[in-house]
Amino acid sequence: MTRPSGIPTIPPGLRLALATAILAAVWLVVLPSIGRHPAVARHVRLMEACDANPSAMVYTELERLPLRPAWIERHLVLWPTGN
Amino acid sequence: MAADSGVVLPRRGFHEDIAAIVIGVALVALALAIGWSGRPAEDAASRKAFPKGWPNRLAATIDKPQTWSDAPKQALVVVDKKDPTKVKPVAIPILLGMAWVVGILAAGTLLRGQSVAAVLPGACLLALLGGLAYLMAAQKVINYYNLEYPLWALLVGLVIGNTIGVGKWLEPALQGEFLIKAGLVVFGAEVLFSRLLELGLPGLLTSWVVTPIVLVVTYLFGVHWMKIPSKSLCMVISADMSVCGVSAAIATGAACKAKKEELSLAIGLSLLFTVAMMVVMPPFIRWAEIDPIVGGAWLGGTIDATGAVVAAGEMLGKELDDKRPAEVAATVKMIQNSMIGIIAFAVAVYWAGWVDRDAAGPKTSLVSEAWRRFPKFILGFIGTSIVCSALFTASPELALLVDGAIQGFTSRLRGWLFCVGFVCMGLQTIFRELAPTLASGRPLILYCLGQALNLALSLAMASLTFGWLFRQGGSP
Repeated sequence: MTRPSGIPTIPPGLRLALATAILAAVWLVVLPSIGRHPAVARHVRLMEACDANPSAMVYTELERLPLRPAWIERHLVLWPTGN
Repeated sequence: MAADSGVVLPRRGFHEDIAAIVIGVALVALALAIGWSGRPAEDAASRKAFPKGWPNRLAATIDKPQTWSDAPKQALVVVDKKDPTKVKPVAIPILLGMAWVVGILAAGTLLRGQSVAAVLPGACLLALLGGLAYLMAAQKVINYYNLEYPLWALLVGLVIGNTIGVGKWLEPALQGEFLIKAGLVVFGAEVLFSRLLELGLPGLLTSWVVTPIVLVVTYLFGVHWMKIPSKSLCMVISADMSVCGVSAAIATGAACKAKKEELSLAIGLSLLFTVAMMVVMPPFIRWAEIDPIVGGAWLGGTIDATGAVVAAGEMLGKELDDKRPAEVAATVKMIQNSMIGIIAFAVAVYWAGWVDRDAAGPKTSLVSEAWRRFPKFILGFIGTSIVCSALFTASPELALLVDGAIQGFTSRLRGWLFCVGFVCMGLQTIFRELAPTLASGRPLILYCLGQALNLALSLAMASLTFGWLFRQGGSP
């Protein structure tokens, strides 16, 4: 091992097993139950209905490319000509 | 890292940056070539027929775990939204995505003149851990509240690194910086300069005036007033807060050679604040009765992560029964996304020329000294960006070719490279090194002050450009 142990009393293998068990419990039990909470479930349903992907890091990961909206030129002067 | 392990055989090879450029450029060229070879016979110039660009056959070779709610096995199939009885398995493309990472690590090792055999076992494990991080990020609560995969990739690495540690056999494969650099060169294909003009002068002013001001002021504030010892930490925090979150942090972090711990800290801060802003800002905009278009532009200019911007825009749109805020928010964010290349290049030049200069070293010209220190992979990043931007603007057919290559292949591959790169970072991160800075709370204060400035300036500029100056018919 290249990294010194932070908690010397627990063997490294057991520490990994404990950490894995905690993560498994969070992802397999806690998060699914949070997901069933009405407010959270409503948020998830809204995002799914809108095809939104909140975890997108950049625009290319979105479900729909954010191209210039058709209505924008009725609302804004995009390139003022000075006239 | 690998060269110090004693496992690899030292031979002549390319520098890590050059290897990243060669591999990144080759992958982008491959995606474009495959896309061109499969160009459609009819409606090849029709955006309506191909909204995500031309289909690219490489898309079948790479994917990531899909969102799941109760059981992780749900992540291995794509369910048709219109007909839920139709499912498409994606286990094989996910495995092939891991295989791409292993192949790229092997190719990079070969180009650098090191032993491929020593890297392969570790590369396979890292790819599996990357898959695990992606699976964790795909849980619906996590996914729809914007807790992106880099956080979980770091966590996976941290858990292993701080429990059983990193075995000697794994060390040659721990090439997180190389994976991030190669990923950034591939990412260049997504940074299309023509997107900068998508919202005309209002969009340009909102992004090009506010973003650089916030970045520079926050950085200077952190370095000179708050006396944060690490300039690279100040830069990464400033960039991820002012430009576009994790992707900007990765690009500028590589450009200013930030430490792994600093990048991890900046990303953690950014994601936590992003979640809070995504939830709080839409009701605030409605409560404050801000114009929906101005509100959308404000969301796009301030919330760090692209996906969270769209989510917040949709939440605001739902409250107002109006689709426009989400569309404006996403487009403003896309303009900011397109600034990453220029910002990263500027940071790399500034760092090489001024920050990293060795005052006691031999006297050489500023240019030669800067060139020696300049992170060369940035040239690959800018190069793929310029080539793909030129192709994108050359004709409608080539625009669809570029979009298809990005959507079908390079974007997914870049995600895998970043994900496994962050696993490597987690495995090597020693948070003790940051303890004094963290304990002072100064990075958090810097982020909060910078974000406050960002919120104020963005709202002022969005009100000025979207709400008054360029509005058809003048003031509302």
